[in-house]
Amino acid sequence: MLREILRRPEAWIGGGLLLILLLVAACAPLLAPGDPLAIVGRPLIRPFANADFPLGTDRLGRDLLAGLIHGARASAAVGLAAAAVAMLLGATVGSAAGFAGGWIDEAMMRVVEAFQIVPGFLLALAFVSALGPSLWTVVLAIALGAWTGPARLVRSRVLSLREADFVAAARVMGMRSGEIALRLVMPLALPPVLAISATIVAGAVLTEAALSFLGLGDPNAVTWGRMIAEGRNQLRSAAYLSMIPGAALALTVVAVYLLGEAVTEVLARKRRA
Amino acid sequence: MSFLISRRGLIGVAAGLLASTALPRLALAAGGRLVVAADSEPRQLNPAIVASNGVFFIASKIVEPLAEASFEAGGLRPLLATSWEGSEDGLAVTFRLREGVLWHDGKPFTSADVAFSALEVWKPLQNIGRSLFANLEDVETPDDQTAVFRFSKPTPLQLVANALPVVSAVLPKHVYEGTEIAANPANAALIGTGPFVWGEHKPGEYYLLRRNAAYWAPDQPKIDELVYRVLPDRAAAANSLEAGEIQLAAFSAVPLTDLERVSEVPGLEVVTKGYEALTYQLTVEINHRNAHLKHLKVRQAIAHAIDRKFVLDAIFLGYAAEATGPVPANDPTFYTPEVELYPHDVEKARALLDEAGYPAGADGTRFKLRLLPAPYFNETRQFGDYLRQALAAVGIDAVIVANDSAGHQKAVYTDHEFDLAVAPTVFRADPAISTTILVRSGVPAGTPFSNQGGYENPELDALIDEALITLDSGKRVDLYKRFQKLVTEDLPLINVADWSFTSVASDRLRGLASNPRWAVSNWADLEQEA
Repeated sequence: MLREILRRPEAWIGGGLLLILLLVAACAPLLAPGDPLAIVGRPLIRPFANADFPLGTDRLGRDLLAGLIHGARASAAVGLAAAAVAMLLGATVGSAAGFAGGWIDEAMMRVVEAFQIVPGFLLALAFVSALGPSLWTVVLAIALGAWTGPARLVRSRVLSLREADFVAAARVMGMRSGEIALRLVMPLALPPVLAISATIVAGAVLTEAALSFLGLGDPNAVTWGRMIAEGRNQLRSAAYLSMIPGAALALTVVAVYLLGEAVTEVLARKRRA
Repeated sequence: MSFLISRRGLIGVAAGLLASTALPRLALAAGGRLVVAADSEPRQLNPAIVASNGVFFIASKIVEPLAEASFEAGGLRPLLATSWEGSEDGLAVTFRLREGVLWHDGKPFTSADVAFSALEVWKPLQNIGRSLFANLEDVETPDDQTAVFRFSKPTPLQLVANALPVVSAVLPKHVYEGTEIAANPANAALIGTGPFVWGEHKPGEYYLLRRNAAYWAPDQPKIDELVYRVLPDRAAAANSLEAGEIQLAAFSAVPLTDLERVSEVPGLEVVTKGYEALTYQLTVEINHRNAHLKHLKVRQAIAHAIDRKFVLDAIFLGYAAEATGPVPANDPTFYTPEVELYPHDVEKARALLDEAGYPAGADGTRFKLRLLPAPYFNETRQFGDYLRQALAAVGIDAVIVANDSAGHQKAVYTDHEFDLAVAPTVFRADPAISTTILVRSGVPAGTPFSNQGGYENPELDALIDEALITLDSGKRVDLYKRFQKLVTEDLPLINVADWSFTSVASDRLRGLASNPRWAVSNWADLEQEA
């Protein structure tokens, strides 16, 4: 299946871009050592004007390139962590509801719906405003608005798989229900969730940027959203301050969507076959 | 085809709707209407209850104080009072009031209105008046044009006079008497004696004020309609000015970073005058309950770690001055440069921290602090970012805690959940009005912009109390000079920059910045050329 995915050009582009992002994020302390918020030069050096600061400096004289690199780290970390939390929570709730059935299923699905009717971003805003901004509250806040999709998906897969003939056969053979769930149903129920994980990551990166833009990100970390927000005050006089992190953000989201598109396409074809 | 027509019809309806919510259309001669940017809509508009610049910006055009600040010697221009005189013992101040002044509803203005405002509003309800008029016992009104303020303790005339523009907005007794003053409908639809009459307020859109044809000063005001367009987005103010939709943006509504560009736009001018009596100071508030910050050497090290010149250049873009102490240098009366200064010196800061018993750890860090920058201004937030880095350079790890306005006030002024905070404190023409409260001990928790850092210095407290009852102006000034010296020596807080506002205005306006509180004065002399 991996080979099939990699045969698609959008997977190449998206995956390649993401690989670069992850590499940059992982190597941030090597690529830009020291505190990325340190004041290192004259304020407002334009991009490509000074070899020490290839992308220029912001209003306080902080290196934009260092900010971009460490911002990639924050974006990637928040995106992946939020998606992981959302999928873990969603898969747990969804499979529990699917296997249990009856009133437990009903109750759990009403809770899922309660979360779904509140726009995810509003939920995140409220959560961060109440608990105060830090990297972990931001991760939880984003996951809170994203876990319902995986939950519904896993539940529906479990519900249909549980009635499948091979499950019935296993039951007749005397397999215990726990074993059936873990060995037969889950491995087939989870792949579609992995397929939508890419869009969850992309959504999480965007939500994190939006929260930071509104001043609800961690004030002690550089993030792209915060860089865009800080640059906004100088939009007319130094547009590069917002445009450079903005472009990085747009590129990341496009990359994640391309990869997600490829995965979805391959999975859909497999299902048809 | 029918689709097109219906769509056009729809557009017509939409345009009609837009027009009905937009500003009222009136045929006025050019120069008749002045549109001003307003960046906030205060919930409470009564300047006699809430003495703040956000309220004055609109309300001072309608409700007038007894006197206004002035660039002339003496610093005051008579408005509703024509003269004032203190008694020898400092227990009485006699005001002569202007004759022939009418309230906007046609009733005459008399000393009864002044007595009512002082005793029923300024003293019990007003944020500044509550402390300033704490010793006010009675206001006698021997005749309609005389009001005698009686104090239970000697009260310096200099202080009363300096405070007049801020604390003395006079309300009509016949409107407020016998009602619950804080809930009176006239707090929204103001009734005053000023050059402009309340028109209407459309929330989120505009305030409309009209010319008062019966204003007491002949030939004033010179503007027919004053409109405050609500533009909370600062970038929008600059764009609206360039488009000619508004003629004035005061209180730095145009971001500092845009000023250079805007100043080159033909027809617009950048004005930095007119805010001399409303100087803000960028101040680092210190929580003296913190075990590290208790040490004077630590506070001195922090003061030495701050590069004031960098702050002026990078954050204020030159539109500010270095602060030397708790009184801004542009104050003509009280300021003294003979104070303890803390030039930027990283080595010295490090040495002071070493001496205080905080050697740098393996990673260069000595200790950790919470830093809460006030969110009210871009400048306070940016200075918070700067201070974090400046402290990192000397080995103090400051962690920024970001809050919204309400959260920040609760954290700093009520819960004391901070180590360092960045505040925009205001100097209002006299240190006794809103400056000494920043360091005086015994201020109850929850009082915004007061000493909530738990700082206690009996010597400073005694000096503050002595100055409050010192009648001789010269002696008072000397006491406050000593106050500045003591504050800079012991650093209950650190004053970083004296910072003033800018206005951007159409160059057709005449009478801009005509007094040191211009943006919050009554604008009776403001003119717009055709």
